[in-house]
Amino acid sequence: MDSLQDMPAAAVSASYLVPVYATYAIIAVGLTIWIARTLFKNGAVFLEEVFPDAPKMAEAVNRLLVVGFYLVNLGYASLILKAGRPGSMAEAIEALAQKLGLLLLSLGAMHFANLYVFHRIRRRAKLNQLPPPVPPQMMLPPGHRHVERDERIREAVEARFPQPGSHPSPQVA
Amino acid sequence: MISRLTVLYDERCALCVRCRDWMLSQDALVPLDFLASHSIRAVQLYGRVIPWLGDELVVVGDGGEVWVGPAAFLVCLWALADYREWSHRLAGDTFSKVAVKFFATLSKKRRWIAEWLEHPGCSDERCRIAHAAPPYR
Repeated sequence: MDSLQDMPAAAVSASYLVPVYATYAIIAVGLTIWIARTLFKNGAVFLEEVFPDAPKMAEAVNRLLVVGFYLVNLGYASLILKAGRPGSMAEAIEALAQKLGLLLLSLGAMHFANLYVFHRIRRRAKLNQLPPPVPPQMMLPPGHRHVERDERIREAVEARFPQPGSHPSPQVA
Repeated sequence: MISRLTVLYDERCALCVRCRDWMLSQDALVPLDFLASHSIRAVQLYGRVIPWLGDELVVVGDGGEVWVGPAAFLVCLWALADYREWSHRLAGDTFSKVAVKFFATLSKKRRWIAEWLEHPGCSDERCRIAHAAPPYR
């Protein structure tokens, strides 16, 4: 204790600060790796369903998402590393808890954002396959084809009844 | 699966024309063709087989499927990328009764609603605003 009291103030706080930073760094990196791996493993299930005919595509999208997750999280964790100088052991623990709490909350937010992205991708793929919400009230007889494709009918109608705005159709002699 | 839809809308109603323009501005998951329901083409093609033509909104699929009235409104929403989910929601148990009533009323009162939305100086073809010189319509 005597030796501690003799030390200058900056050295005292540094003696607390370094273990705080070290613990923080280990926990931050460990958590990020664990969450990213969980995301990678379970996201694969989602993406395989979205791209059933392109498993390579599913894996690529999954990897890219995880790389983004790593970059954002490690970058953010590094940014919030700096703490004020703790004067005592209690203050050091408080600083550590505050940093970890902030990091965990942002990791959670990132995780849910990622889940939302997976959900969106899956929903988009499902949406294209949905049938009309109501069955048709009636069916036209098979002779009735689609308008734009049935050019012959269109031409025949326009030749017989020229529309006021349209070009005059050539008269058949 | 339906790969193309023809929408037969009432071209004499300003609200319907506006809705058509709005639909054209949206992203569609199914290619849409618009055909005025009182046009010669529409009457020639569908007049005999679809008795509601001109009174109600009619949507015809390329396989000969016909939707009329509120169902046609829902199919129009279904064709649009941003509203496909809502079309199913509106056709579901919770909303279907309200949706059917809403679309039926919208269709029935379309002229009346168009009168409210439109400028009183509007006629069928163009709008004239009081105290404005002809070029500044």
